[in-house]
Amino acid sequence: MSIELIIGAWVATGLTLFIFTFLYKDNPLFKLAENLYVGVSVGYTIVKTFDTVIVQLIWKPIVENGEWALLIPVAIGMLMLTRYVPKAAWISRYAFAFIVGVGSGLAIPRTISSFILKQIEDTVRPLLTLIPGEGVTFTWSLLNPASSLNTIIILLGVSSVLFYFFFSIEHTGPGKVVARTGIMFLMIAFGAAFGYTVMARMSLLIGRLTDLIEFTDPSYGRPSLWLVGLTILTLVVMSRRSNSKQPKDE
Amino acid sequence: MIFLRRQIPLLITLITGLVFAGQYYVPHPASEQMLTSVTKWLQIIGGFALVLGVSSLFHVHAVKIRRKEAGWGYSFVLYVGMLGTIAVGLWSNGKEAVDGAMTAFGWIYNFMMVPLQSTMFAILAFFIASAAYRSFRARSREAAVLLIAAVIVMMGRVPLGEYLIPLSGDLSQWILNVLNASVRRAILIGVSLGTVALSIKIIFGMERSYLGGGKE
Amino acid sequence: MLGDDEGETVSFTERMLKIDRRIIFLVIGFCTLLPLLYPVGLPIKISQEVRGVYDHIESLPEGSAFLLSLDFDPASKPELHPQSISLLRHAFRKNLRVIALTLWVSGTGMADQVITQVAREMGKENGKDYVFLGWSPGGTAVIINMGQDLYGAFPADYNGKPTKELPVLHGITNLRDVNYAVSLGAGRPGVEEWYVFGKDKYKFEMGGGCTGVMAPGLYPLLRSGQINGLIGGLRGAAEYETLMGQRGRAIAGMDAQSATHLAIIVLVIMCNLFYFSSRSRARSQGQAGA
Repeated sequence: MSIELIIGAWVATGLTLFIFTFLYKDNPLFKLAENLYVGVSVGYTIVKTFDTVIVQLIWKPIVENGEWALLIPVAIGMLMLTRYVPKAAWISRYAFAFIVGVGSGLAIPRTISSFILKQIEDTVRPLLTLIPGEGVTFTWSLLNPASSLNTIIILLGVSSVLFYFFFSIEHTGPGKVVARTGIMFLMIAFGAAFGYTVMARMSLLIGRLTDLIEFTDPSYGRPSLWLVGLTILTLVVMSRRSNSKQPKDE
Repeated sequence: MIFLRRQIPLLITLITGLVFAGQYYVPHPASEQMLTSVTKWLQIIGGFALVLGVSSLFHVHAVKIRRKEAGWGYSFVLYVGMLGTIAVGLWSNGKEAVDGAMTAFGWIYNFMMVPLQSTMFAILAFFIASAAYRSFRARSREAAVLLIAAVIVMMGRVPLGEYLIPLSGDLSQWILNVLNASVRRAILIGVSLGTVALSIKIIFGMERSYLGGGKE
Repeated sequence: MLGDDEGETVSFTERMLKIDRRIIFLVIGFCTLLPLLYPVGLPIKISQEVRGVYDHIESLPEGSAFLLSLDFDPASKPELHPQSISLLRHAFRKNLRVIALTLWVSGTGMADQVITQVAREMGKENGKDYVFLGWSPGGTAVIINMGQDLYGAFPADYNGKPTKELPVLHGITNLRDVNYAVSLGAGRPGVEEWYVFGKDKYKFEMGGGCTGVMAPGLYPLLRSGQINGLIGGLRGAAEYETLMGQRGRAIAGMDAQSATHLAIIVLVIMCNLFYFSSRSRARSQGQAGA
């Protein structure tokens, strides 16, 4: 095991445990790790942006391939940076106007096609299924999402939820029934979303603990075990100090 | 002056918006070439936008260090982390590995950035459990429905739940594929209609908040 | 004055409802740690969603162009990293031409590493069997640009080699020439953006992988056939590993997942029992007072 891997294992374990100490109480170890995280992430983004944008997308194409037209986006990008000069900040509006205009223009037809038309198309499917050899039948299977019964349920769900969010008219009478159906559908969907969110968060913790368990290996020098002990000791000392401070204040 | 400061940007938005919305429907090679070039430009401009976002962070923490405000030591740590990573990154030519061998930049990425970011999000697991215990109460009929759906999905999506109650697996699949899909579809359609409406408002100058940078 | 018994019961439910959250943290910590140290290995049922991606890759002929977009950062590594390993192993096993990239800057190092690692394991050669294009800013602009002209979007691969000269990209000018694309997304840009700005115009077949948080929101796309499969979260990754017949981190994490889910369900049921008990106690006290 090379020395940089061993040192890396100790640093990684240490930083992981610093962040876990937040579960006990907010403390300097956590704040240190938190600020280091922001600094390193930003530094990484800057290096990658420099390497990709400046070197690969601007310098090489212009200098080696003579694509001088790329000076236009460079100019637009520079205009954007004038935002930080208070007197000239209005110049940056040209750059933002261009970006926002292009972005909105690109998004409109694509969004309509993908998320409105295609989704409505799939909602208004035939309520009867055509089975080759058997003719037109009504399929009852709940487990098959494409069955006729489920098609009706999906149609009900989509329409009632869309109606619930339509606040331009009052939800009274038959409207109230539809809106309440919509709310029930919404609650079930939110429940499913909560279940999946729990699954996702637990998976992240499982991943972290798997790494910590991997670093209990003797080939790394067992950093997990030593550093867990050290962290618990530090937390105990810190909490004793803050307890002894409190009686003094009183 | 108002013309320069307000009208021209709005005009730029109008023209570019209409041109690129229309481009989708024009398959002529010239129109496709324009799309190719301009999206290439957007990649480069996107890089500048990242620089913009980052520089405000520089500024905030530099001020904190200079004025020695409370917690400036942590801002100093942030700066050291940032500058150190940049220095090492430029020295390694921005590469994490060369021919399979890890560089110093790769070391910072693998043993500092990845553990820090992973753990920041991993501790959320504890908070979701504590929040669920404190506030997930069936105070009303709707809340009860939400709770029951959540419990069914949590049971049905793990091997233990499917082993103990096989019905929970099938039920959670039905909830996800039919009930959840229909609700999410309605939300997707609604949100997309809103996005399209907002984009049209921006193109026609009815929505100007994106301009920023200046008094008018 | 109420009887002592009732007074004690009230304070017990009140105490349980206001329990120190660090005790709950400890419970969750144990439920995650113990199954990782002492796994049981319960069987995992395969869902139609995951089978959609697997079956489609199985059906692709040798030499097909498979695009894998690793749109995630280290925060989502535990869920999406196992998915990427299984998909890459599958693609290499089927001798597909793998074109990999990422739209998330902080995931670049991770993406490079996973591809290099799996390719080495399967004996595949960079430039000939696979290419890692790296990262480019712009998100959706990159997708559109790749759809128009792949070599314009990525003039060089991640190692600086000109993409026009790579044998693996022979015959591929833009996204229309891709046979199957899968985006492993943790947010934006992700699966939705690949569909809206990619498949909608350039008409390639598409599948998706995502974190547990995003999964329920992608079911409309799955139902309408806009994506032909969805690998959702760690559970989806475990199902894919089961289909591949290889036990990886996802299957290893399933026992801990079961334990923590059970713990949360028990906590929620307990909290509701205490809540209803304290509410009925308060109601009966109110009636006795009146």
